[in-house]
Amino acid sequence: MSDAAATPNVLVVDDEVQIRRFLRSGFELDGYSVSEAENGREAIRAATLRPTDLIILDLGLPDLDGSQVLERIRSWSNVPIIILSVKSSEMEKVRLFELGADDYVTKPFGMAELLARSKVVLRRKARATTGDSVIRIDHLKIDLAARNVFVAEERLTLTPKEYRLLQILAQYPGNVVTHQELLKEIWGLPHINDTHYLRIVVRKLRQKIESDPNQPRILLTELGVGYRLAPPNDPAEG
Amino acid sequence: MQWLRAAAQPGGAFGVAGALCLVVAVTLCLEVVKSFLSLPPIIITYLIPVLFAAIRWGFAAAMAAMIAGAASAAFFFYKPTYTFYVEDPARRLGLLLFAVVAVVAAYLAVRMRRESEIVRRREKEIGDLYAFSRRLAGGHSTADIFDAIEKHLATVVGRRVALFEPRGASRRAEPISESEVPQKVRETAAAVIAGDPGGNAGMAVADEHGNHWLVRAVSPKTPDLGVVAIDLGRETPESEQEIRARIEAVLFDAASTIEKIGLAHAISEVRMRAESERFRDALIDSVSHELRTPLASILGAATVLREAPAVAGEARLASLANVVRDESERLNNEIQNLLDATRITGEALQPKLEWAEVADIVNVAVERRRIRLGSHAVEVDLPGEMPLIQVDAVLIEKALGQIIANAAKYSPPGSRIRIRGWRDGHTLALSVSDEGVGLSAEDSAHLGERFFRGGRHVQTTPGSGLGFWIANAFVAANGGTIEATSPGEDKGTTVTMRLPIPANVEQLESISSE
Repeated sequence: MSDAAATPNVLVVDDEVQIRRFLRSGFELDGYSVSEAENGREAIRAATLRPTDLIILDLGLPDLDGSQVLERIRSWSNVPIIILSVKSSEMEKVRLFELGADDYVTKPFGMAELLARSKVVLRRKARATTGDSVIRIDHLKIDLAARNVFVAEERLTLTPKEYRLLQILAQYPGNVVTHQELLKEIWGLPHINDTHYLRIVVRKLRQKIESDPNQPRILLTELGVGYRLAPPNDPAEG
Repeated sequence: MQWLRAAAQPGGAFGVAGALCLVVAVTLCLEVVKSFLSLPPIIITYLIPVLFAAIRWGFAAAMAAMIAGAASAAFFFYKPTYTFYVEDPARRLGLLLFAVVAVVAAYLAVRMRRESEIVRRREKEIGDLYAFSRRLAGGHSTADIFDAIEKHLATVVGRRVALFEPRGASRRAEPISESEVPQKVRETAAAVIAGDPGGNAGMAVADEHGNHWLVRAVSPKTPDLGVVAIDLGRETPESEQEIRARIEAVLFDAASTIEKIGLAHAISEVRMRAESERFRDALIDSVSHELRTPLASILGAATVLREAPAVAGEARLASLANVVRDESERLNNEIQNLLDATRITGEALQPKLEWAEVADIVNVAVERRRIRLGSHAVEVDLPGEMPLIQVDAVLIEKALGQIIANAAKYSPPGSRIRIRGWRDGHTLALSVSDEGVGLSAEDSAHLGERFFRGGRHVQTTPGSGLGFWIANAFVAANGGTIEATSPGEDKGTTVTMRLPIPANVEQLESISSE
């Protein structure tokens, strides 16, 4: 963990005791300290009582709907939240991302995948607190303060729309931003369904920043949901 | 005499006056002609106002024109002039003949007019019926069907009509459209739907504005066709009686038409379909939840075990943990396939079309099958500029994933799997080629069938035989086709998917990113 906290606190919210059990073991093996909640109310209380670095939230809770829990916690905290669900509908994902979920994992899943995603959201949180305006992903460098973009230290000329797209994604590197959100931010509300605008700008941007635009490594597609940037390089690697 | 009664009506009196005017006009014309030319006055000229009046205003007006015409001829043109007496016997006979011809011609003209009116009305009725049946055929829910009935009744009755649909076990009445219906009328309609014995014959209700409404079941035989309320307005009791009799006749016709069309059946059909869809959705929901939750625990626990120091250090234990992991992944895929198959057969497949980049779909499909691709060498060959396509990217990714998984399953580890894309006229083609077992003639013939599995592999390779069938259905739902070819057994297989390229894609792609 690049975090200041040596052992990040993760709150696991799921009504299935077996799932909580393996999540506890998995996270503890990876150096987290784990607390549990088995329903929505308990989850909200636990999140207010204990310092929490990460919440793993199941959607199907007995008392409150998981999305309600997400909404309530988001009203006062920006703690990273990863959603677990047995449903994998893209519409559902879009809704949850727009409610403020940081990531979404479909059950069943392997522990390694969940740990990798947890690491990404925690790192993003750490970056947000340091307020670093320079983001490095692979050979790409985005300087949000100076509004400059470099590929292998060479400055790129981007159109305003291309830069805006990169800027929105870079505000939350690694986070999925939905098609609708991007269209609304870049072209405005009337164009919220004109996905082809987005596809064409993404295509042009990839030609400028990716080494192989057909197999992108930086600007990634979440099919049927939106786009995200690959997780930034570790600051240690520079 | 009927024509006398007709002449007494306001329209009839207007017709008689019109006919007399025409006769005056003809007389004036004849007078003018007489002062220039010394032709004998032609009584046949007076047939013009007679025929015109017959066609325009009916028989009574025509008769008035005939009498006035004969009188004018006798008064103005036949000697001695300016008296009604006619001297010449031949002229007298002529007048008599004129009267006979006028009556016959007027009668024929009136009949012709009536018949053409009937034809026109028939035509309109048929047009209405046609519109009605088209709306019925296009209806997706009972609400659509009742809406169609309401519109149809409003057209044929020619008054404000509100239809109430019986809903649920309690037979609660609900108006179909948001039209303003007084509270009292609603209550009466509810009573009729609830089975009020007086309802079938019809009940008259007066609302707070003094308007009268007729409330009755559309069909006296079954309340399932709904209850109709018709605004009669503020008529006198006598004319209201007449209007009610007319509505009675129209409703009788409408009800029998509706019964003939098999509407009651259509309604119960629609209800049943909605019911079974709800049931299927509930089943899918519960299966995916009840099976996947324990599976999530198994898979999750296995992956934790795999990384636990005690197991990770012990190769044999680690490989056992891998078996649990891989097999639960497989079980999960089979559950997903079954759910997808249920969606397909239940016609619940509604592609959410949006513009998509082919490379994105291919990348995600390959990435998601990374584990199952194992040691296969995957080679992706897409040209730099592929047109955008309008598809449900998630469905196409699933279809392509099925094809890739099949390629990996039926070809030896380490062999090459090649994914190619190209533009082929108005379609975009995507092919997956492997170096595996290929297809026999029998395989090719049955490949598209659900649960089909090649006889050579049933014993050696696990699977349900759903994969290709699902891929096929998903691609077809997006307007595409899928085809598998093979040079023969053990010579590899190429599966090619073709998707339509929208005609306007060049224009859409030409927008700038400025």
